[in-house]
Amino acid sequence: MTTTTTPATNPTVSEADDIDLLGGLDYPTRRDEAWRYAPHDTLKRLSFGRPARPTGALPRTLEGRIPALDGPRIVIVNGAVDPDRSQLGNPAAGVHLSTLAGAGSEHPELLAAHLDQGTDDGDAFLALNIAYGNAGAAIHVASGQAVNVPIHVVHIALPDETQNVSCSGVAIRLDDGASATVVETSLGDGHHGGTNTRTTITLGEGATLDHIVVQDVESTQVHLGRISVTQGSRSAFRSHLFNLGGTYGRVVYDVRLAGDEARADLSGLYFGQGRQTLDQQITVTHAAPDCTSRQRFRGVLDDQSTGVFNGGIDVRPGADGTDAQQSNDNLLLSDRAEANTQPRLEILADDVTCKHGATVGQLDDNALYYLRTRGIDESDARRILIHGFADEAIEAVDNEVLRAWITERLGHADA
Amino acid sequence: MLHVQNLTASIGGTPILNGLDLEVGPGEVHAMMGPNGSGKSTFAHALAGRDGYEIGGTATLDGADLLTMEPEARAAAGVFIGFQYPVEIPGVNNMYFLRTALNSVRRARGETEIGARDFLAVAHEAMELVEMNKDFLNRPVNAGFSGGEKKRNEILQMAVLEPRLAILDETDSGLDIDALQIIASGVNALRGPERSVIMITHYQRLLDYIRPDFVHVLVDGRIVESGDHTLALHLEDHGYADFVNHDLDDTPALPLAGAAT
Ligand SMILES: Nc1ncnc2c1ncn2[C@@H]1O[C@H](COP(=O)(O)OP(=O)(O)OP(=O)(O)O)[C@@H](O)[C@H]1O
Ligand SMILES: [Mg+2]
Repeated sequence: MTTTTTPATNPTVSEADDIDLLGGLDYPTRRDEAWRYAPHDTLKRLSFGRPARPTGALPRTLEGRIPALDGPRIVIVNGAVDPDRSQLGNPAAGVHLSTLAGAGSEHPELLAAHLDQGTDDGDAFLALNIAYGNAGAAIHVASGQAVNVPIHVVHIALPDETQNVSCSGVAIRLDDGASATVVETSLGDGHHGGTNTRTTITLGEGATLDHIVVQDVESTQVHLGRISVTQGSRSAFRSHLFNLGGTYGRVVYDVRLAGDEARADLSGLYFGQGRQTLDQQITVTHAAPDCTSRQRFRGVLDDQSTGVFNGGIDVRPGADGTDAQQSNDNLLLSDRAEANTQPRLEILADDVTCKHGATVGQLDDNALYYLRTRGIDESDARRILIHGFADEAIEAVDNEVLRAWITERLGHADA
Repeated sequence: MLHVQNLTASIGGTPILNGLDLEVGPGEVHAMMGPNGSGKSTFAHALAGRDGYEIGGTATLDGADLLTMEPEARAAAGVFIGFQYPVEIPGVNNMYFLRTALNSVRRARGETEIGARDFLAVAHEAMELVEMNKDFLNRPVNAGFSGGEKKRNEILQMAVLEPRLAILDETDSGLDIDALQIIASGVNALRGPERSVIMITHYQRLLDYIRPDFVHVLVDGRIVESGDHTLALHLEDHGYADFVNHDLDDTPALPLAGAAT
C-alpha cells in the first residue's frame, strides 16, 4: 500500500487524522511474502500512538544498558525526546544535529525528505511511524565535513498498560564528500509494546556513512525498524545490524544505489533464543551503473527461535557493471530452531555479477572435541565456537565500546 | 603412568580395537606403527575421549580411570593428543584459544589462572621452541594453516599445556626435512622424567631424531609386536608383510636381541 494520504510537509498529525489514517490501514498478513514469519497475532494486539505516559526516570537496569559511547546522543523515550538524557552538543563544524522536530526551521528539506523517502513500498507500520514518529533525530553533515565521533540515537520503549509501541524517526543527510558514524540503539522495558523506528538516509557524492543498529528491546516486546537509503555517486554506506531483542525483531533495509560507483556493505548478526523471531528484510536496488553491494548476514538460532533473511538484489535497466553479492549463514544450536532464507534476484541490466549463497549448519562436533581435548569444558567450547561464528560481524565494528557491549550481550568472555 | 588393558573400541558394532595392551612408564617414549586403518588414531582418540565408540577394557593414567572421564577432564589429568588432522576453527583467535585452554587446565588442577601478559611470555617461549612466527598467535586456530604449520601448532599447544602423556598422531606426516627436525627437537626438549610420549608414525625417519624406548606394531586393532627402535628399521625394510594376513605363529623371528644400544 502507499501512504500518499499523509501530508508530506507537516510532520504533526492531528488526533482526527490519526484515526482516519488508522482506519485506512491494511495490516500485513501471512500471505505477504515479507511478513510470512511474523507473529501476526502479536502484531494485531499492538497499539501505536502517542506516549502512554510522560517520561519519568528510566529503570536503573535500562539506564545502565545504554552503550556509553563518546559523542553526542539523542535519547527518545516513548516517542518523545528526553532532553535530560540527550547531549546535543555539536560534534564538529558543518554538522547540524537536532531533534527531528527541531530540524523544521533550519533544515525543512531534511524533514520533508524524511517523510517522503521510501514510502512507495511502505506498509501499515511505516504509515504509523509517519503519523506518530515525530520525535527523533535530524543529522546533517555539510559538504566535505568529517564527524569523528559516533552520533548515538537511542530509542527506548517503556509502555504503559496499553500495548503502546513507540514511534520515532531519524533523518540523516550527508552532503558531498561528508562522512559520519551513526549508531542507533533500541532498548525497552515492560511486558509489551516496543519500538517502531524509521531511518532515512541520503548520501551525496562520495559521502561515507557507517550506520550501526543495535536492536535489543525486551524479550516480550517487538521492534519494527525500517532504514531507507538513497546513495549518490561513489558514496559508501556501511551498515552493521545486531538484531538481538524482542519476541519479534524486524529490520527492513531498503537501499537504493542511485549514482554510479556507489557502494553498499550491509552486514548483520541476529541471535535468537527462546521463541524469538528475528526478521531481516533487505532490498538493494542497483539503479545506476558500476555500483557494488554486499549483504552478509549471519544468524545464531537457539531454542525455538526463528531467523528470517529475505534478501533482494534488484538490478534495474541501465545498471550495467553491477557487482552484487549476498550471503546468509546460519548456525542452529537446537533442533527446534529454524532458519529461513529467501533470496530474491531480479536482473534487468547487462554485464552484471550477482552471487548469492546460504548455509545452515550446526556446531562442528570435531571442533568441539578438539577444544575439549585441550581442557576447555563443553559449555566454554560451545561459547567459543559460537563467538567464532559471530566474530566476523562483531569485528567489523570499529567502535571498541560497542564491540565490547555486543560481545558481553552475547555472553562471551573477552576474545 | 599409563596402563592399558584389553582395550576394545568399536563403531556401530564394527570392532576397531580388539584388545590392546600397553604399559607406558614415566619419561618413556613409545613409537606406534602399523598399516593404514589398523586403528592407531582410534587408539589415540579412545584415550583422549572422542564420542561415538563403544569402549571396553581399562585405561588408567597415574591410577585415574581415563575411560569414564570427559575429554576436558582427561586433558586436566594430563592427556594431550596431537591430531593427525588438526581441526580448523575459523573466527577463534589462536592466542585466545591457547590461553583459555591453559587456564581451563590450570583451574581444573586447582592452580591459579594466568593473566594475559604472563601468558604472552609462555606463548612466546613455546613458539621459539617450534620456530613459529608470532603472527600465528593472532590468526584463527589452524584456519588456512599449511599442513606443516598445523603440526607445529599442535606441538605449540603441547608445549603450553605441559601434559603428562602426549599422544602424537602422525605429527611428522607432511613435514619437510627442516620442519621435521624442528618438531623433533621440540619434542625432545619437552622430554623429561615426568612426561611420557606415544608417537604414532609411519616413518622410521622420525625415530632417527626422537629415539623411542619402545616400538610397537599395531595390526587389526591389537599390538602384535613390540621391540626397541631396531624394530622400526626392520619395518622400514620389510613393511608389515610379516604381520599382516599371517597367522601370528608364522611370524619370523625378528632381529631384536642384541640390537639395543
Ligand atoms: N567414524 C568411523 N566410522 C566407521 N569406521 C571408522 C570410523 N573411524 C575409523 N573407522 C575405521 O576404523 C579403522 C581404523 O581407523 P584409524 O583411523 O584408527 O586407522 P589408522 O591406523 O590411524 O590409519 P592411518 O594410518 O591411515 O591414519 C579404519 O578402517 C577406519 O575406516
Ligand atoms: Mg591415523
